[in-house]
Amino acid sequence: MLRKYLPLAAAAGVLLAPAGEAASAVEFKPYERGSFAELRKQHAGRPLVVHFWSVTCPPCLAELPDWAKIASERKSLDIVFVNADPDSDRPRAQSRIDKAGLSQLVQYGFADDFVERLYFEADKNWRGELPFTALIGADGSVVTVTGAMDDPLIADWLARVGK
Amino acid sequence: MKKALALVLLAGLLAAPARAEDQPADANPRAGQDHGGHMGHAAAPSACAEAKPRCAQTAEPAFAKDGRLWLAFSVGDKVYAAASRDGGQNFDPAVVAATATGGVIDANGEARPKIVALADGTLLVSYTARPEKSYNGTISIARSTDGGKSFSAAQPLVDGAGQRFDIFLASPKGRLYAAWLDKRDAEDAAKAGKDFAGSGVAVGWSDDGGKTFTGKKILLDHSCECCRVSAALDRDGLPVFAWRHVFGTNLRDHYVAKLSADGGELLGGRVSEDEWATTCPHHGPSLAIDSAGAWHVAWFTNGKARKGLFYARSVDGGKSFSEPAKFGDDERTPSHAALLFANGGLYRVWKEFDGTTTSILAQVSRDAGKAWSAPRVVASTTGASDHPLLIEHKGAAYLSWLTHEQGYRLSPLPREQAAATTRAQAAVALTGK
Repeated sequence: MLRKYLPLAAAAGVLLAPAGEAASAVEFKPYERGSFAELRKQHAGRPLVVHFWSVTCPPCLAELPDWAKIASERKSLDIVFVNADPDSDRPRAQSRIDKAGLSQLVQYGFADDFVERLYFEADKNWRGELPFTALIGADGSVVTVTGAMDDPLIADWLARVGK
Repeated sequence: MKKALALVLLAGLLAAPARAEDQPADANPRAGQDHGGHMGHAAAPSACAEAKPRCAQTAEPAFAKDGRLWLAFSVGDKVYAAASRDGGQNFDPAVVAATATGGVIDANGEARPKIVALADGTLLVSYTARPEKSYNGTISIARSTDGGKSFSAAQPLVDGAGQRFDIFLASPKGRLYAAWLDKRDAEDAAKAGKDFAGSGVAVGWSDDGGKTFTGKKILLDHSCECCRVSAALDRDGLPVFAWRHVFGTNLRDHYVAKLSADGGELLGGRVSEDEWATTCPHHGPSLAIDSAGAWHVAWFTNGKARKGLFYARSVDGGKSFSEPAKFGDDERTPSHAALLFANGGLYRVWKEFDGTTTSILAQVSRDAGKAWSAPRVVASTTGASDHPLLIEHKGAAYLSWLTHEQGYRLSPLPREQAAATTRAQAAVALTGK
């Protein structure tokens, strides 16, 4: 249940860098209806991690540096971050991303009020729990994990997709 | 709460005919100036920034003694209160109850501006703003003693910060209870370099109509920090609270506990062992207490032991709970259940989503939760929507629901249901223990 009065321009794909935050280069692309399928298409044939997080989720914040470590160690792995907060929280999200050293990753931000559909598109059983990670293999297979990255499913998947 | 809404209006609402399956029970869609002209398609985000409920993400209802239905909601940096004299169809121009300076107002399904209508006509509007750190909130309360024409400057409920997820409950004896999730102990632990799971549950109370609160202590530590607290009054007028708790290192199951008469303790117990080791479900429980004093709780879990929406009750003050009974259609992502006891009926509603349409399902139990009527769709939308809430007015139960497409709706729930109007749902357990 998020975001407010997005300018309609967002629908045209213009977004939405938080005002007054020129210091950082992080740009949150709009994550909308269809974005999950679009990401899968864009990264088809390559292993992809889509990680959903929020600034109001302490465990999400705690593990951001761990994701930064994985991103630096696994250059061949495509990792996309999706911030599930409303626009009003995006400056905070940006500062967290900067602080954790994740600003080189592709960043998306929820840009659709109809969050149930965003959840459903990633996993029909997902109700918005965070952190949430979709692990998409080069063959298109999808494993989704609710909870922190110490979940064995994530470690196993990372081991399986190799270096 | 609630009195004297002109009966004729209620009669109009209640007269909504029984509906065929899956038809939204939308007796009064987008009536009046508040709801007009926003049937745009669901993919477009809300481009609406007016001081109207339909421009908000959440709307919290309360019936005042004079029969008006009040909503608290936020748009931008302002928290508004708006009154309806016709059961939610039309709203008077909203009044600014508070302006949050330099912070973000919590306004999502779980954490949201609240409103309480006291018996003497006083209105209290609360909100949480997160000014500096990401989730280090401050709960503030604004009061109106002129029937909602104006509000006092909002005052913080607790000095300092670290509070979110507030809930208020007025007892028949005139005491106003407040509970919230409080990070103060967690912060102290962090300063001392100690690990600390979750937040604490804090309780305070006011005997002067919400001007000042006493108590305000954390009574039980290690609640989950991202889910709403639910509350209901027990037969003796003391409040009972339900919340998601952190058991052990990270098992996020539910706790229900009653405030002791001296206000110093929360006494109750664990609802179930779902074995959900997780982080931020953003999905709190709902609590109702019936006239016999049984505690009824509904919750969501995705644990190893069970997954989905569940219901259980305790008839011994939380010492034990009945075996969790599943409800909702697992094929439709059931979520965000609400419970209410009104006039002998125990009602429950929840959301289901099939990939296109969000529906609100309703059931009623006439035997304190043992048997439930077949689930019935009472409202639906194909756009964004708030959690479904239940509110009682003059002994009747109403669904209170805000959607982007249809605006705000207050829909009466049928006290009994004809089998012909129900949707078969094989996955729904019709009987409890």
